[in-house]
Amino acid sequence: MWLKLLLSFFFVLSLVGAFVVGPGGERERAREANSANQTQNDHVLRLLTWNIGNGDLESETRAHDEDLSAVATIILDNDADAVALQELTGKDQLRLLLQHLENCYSGYVCNSAGGDRVEAVLIKTSGHRGSAAASPTFSDVPAGNRFAAAAAFHLRKDLPEVVLVSAHADAFSASRRRAFAADLTDWSRSHSRNELTFIAGDFNFEVSTRNKNNLFTDDAKHDSESYAYLLNSFRDLGLDAGETSINDRRIDYVFGPVANVTLRRAEVLRSAAVGRMDHWPLLIEVAF
Amino acid sequence: MITQLRLELLKLVRSKGFYLSFAALSAFVMLMLWGFYSYAQKKTNGLATDQFKYTYESKSYFNGLTFTLYSLMFAFSLVIPIFVAMTAGGQIAGERRTGTLRMICIRPISRASLVVSKFLVVAIHTYLLLAFFIGLNLLVGLLFVGWGNLELYPGPLDLVDAPGQILRDDALWRFCYASLSGTWALLVVAAIAMLLSVIFRNPVTAVAATIAVYLMLYIVGRIEFFVDLRPFFFTTDMDFWRDVLKPEVPWADLGHYAATCGAYIFGLLLTAVIIFERKDITT
Repeated sequence: MWLKLLLSFFFVLSLVGAFVVGPGGERERAREANSANQTQNDHVLRLLTWNIGNGDLESETRAHDEDLSAVATIILDNDADAVALQELTGKDQLRLLLQHLENCYSGYVCNSAGGDRVEAVLIKTSGHRGSAAASPTFSDVPAGNRFAAAAAFHLRKDLPEVVLVSAHADAFSASRRRAFAADLTDWSRSHSRNELTFIAGDFNFEVSTRNKNNLFTDDAKHDSESYAYLLNSFRDLGLDAGETSINDRRIDYVFGPVANVTLRRAEVLRSAAVGRMDHWPLLIEVAF
Repeated sequence: MITQLRLELLKLVRSKGFYLSFAALSAFVMLMLWGFYSYAQKKTNGLATDQFKYTYESKSYFNGLTFTLYSLMFAFSLVIPIFVAMTAGGQIAGERRTGTLRMICIRPISRASLVVSKFLVVAIHTYLLLAFFIGLNLLVGLLFVGWGNLELYPGPLDLVDAPGQILRDDALWRFCYASLSGTWALLVVAAIAMLLSVIFRNPVTAVAATIAVYLMLYIVGRIEFFVDLRPFFFTTDMDFWRDVLKPEVPWADLGHYAATCGAYIFGLLLTAVIIFERKDITT
C-alpha cells in the first residue's frame, strides 16, 4: 500500500511541478534584463522589413498592386525611417507604392539579375517625427547569383551614416543562400567604416530551436553556416520577436551592428498581412 | 524490497540482452566514428573549402566532444530507447512467458514491490547504458578525433539559437549531467514498456508496441502537418535532456519538462501496479 501511496505522491508532485515551473522563463527574463539595461540614447532609428509577396498557392506570388495601399498604411502608421521590401515586380510597382506613401519616402529597386522579382529599399525623406534623411544614396549589392538593394543615409547630418540592405535569399537552395549570405556579409565588411550597417530581409533560413524537424541534413548545415557567418559581424535584432511567416517560420531577419546601438523594440506585426501574403513585417527600433 | 531488487539485478546481469545492448551501442559508436571521420575529412578538404568562402568546420570544430555530442544525439533518439523498451517490456511479460511469474507472486512480497523493483532495475540498466555510451564516445573521440572545446551552432541538432561554446572541462561535466537527464527522459519509455508488459502476455508484443508508440510519436512530431499536436507528445517532453548541453542551461524549461516526464513515469507506473494487482495470473 505504501508503495502505491508513494507513487501517487510523486505523480501529484510531478504534475504540480510541471504546472508551477513554466517553460520559457529564461528567455523572458533575458528579455526583461535587456530592456532594463537599455540606455537612454537620443537618436532612434526605426527599421521595417517585409516580404510583401504572396503564398505559393497564388498564381502571382510577387507583390500585388492592390495590396500596396495597405502596405503603405503599415509603413506610415509605424513611422519607419527605412524599409526593406522583398518580392516587388519592379520599378513601376515601387513608383505606385511611393505614391501611396504620400511621397514621404525615396525608394530604389535592385537589379533583377534576370529574375522576375526585385528587392526595394525605402528611406523616409520627410515625416512627422522630424527625423528624415536628406538625399539618400542607393546602390546594388551583388551577392551570389542575384542582387540586393542598399541605401545609405543620415538621419541627421551630425549623426553617423546608416546603411540598410534589403535582401532576399534563395528559397529553394540552402547552398545558394550560403553563398548569398557570405557575399552580403563581405560586402558590408568591406564598405564599413563608421557607418551603422543593417541587413534586412527574407533569408529563408530556419535555425530556430522551436522547429525540431530533423536530426542532421546538409541544408540545415548550410543555413547554420550562413547564420553563423552573419553573426560574426552582426547581431540578430529580431531574435526574440518570434515567427515572421506562416507555418511558424522565422525566416525574416534584421541583422544590425554588434555594438553602438541598443535594441529598443523588436516586433513582428502579425495583424499587418493583407491578401494572401505569407510573411509579416518585422519592425526593429534601435537607439544610437 | 531490497532482496527483491538484488534478485532482479542478478537476473539482469545474467541475461544475454544486457550484454547485447552494450555490444550494439559499441557497434553504433564505431559506425558514428566512420561517419564522423569521413564527413570531417570531406568538409575540411578539397571541394568543400573551394565551394564556399567560409565554414565554421575547422579542425578544432571536429573534436572528441563534438563527436560525442552528435553520437549521443542520434543514439538517444533512435537506438537507446529500443534497448530500454526491450529490457522493460520483458520484465513482467517475460516472467509470464517462462512460467516463473506465478511462482514469484506466491512469495510473501507485494505485487507493487515486484513491479517497482523491476522498474528500478530497468532504471539502473538505462543509466548504465547511457553512462557507458557517453564514456565510450568520449574515449573513442579522444583517441581518434582529438580534444577541444564544444562549439555549438544553430541549425543542426536544433540545440542553440545563437553560436556558443562550452569549454572542455565544463563540457565534460555537461555530459555527466546528460547521463542523468537522459536517463530520466528514457524512463518514460521504460514506464510505457512496463505498463504494456503487465498488460500483454507476450514480451515481444510489449516491446514492439512500446517501440511502435515511441517511433510513431517521434516521427509524427517532426512532420509539420502535426505541429499543433507536437506539445502533447511525450517524445516532445523527453527532449528536455538536451538542455544541459546548451551553453546557458535553461533551468526553468528543464524543470518543467523533467516534472512532466516525472508525471508520465509515476502515472504509468502507478497504473501498471494497479492493473498488475488485479490481474489473475494463470501461468
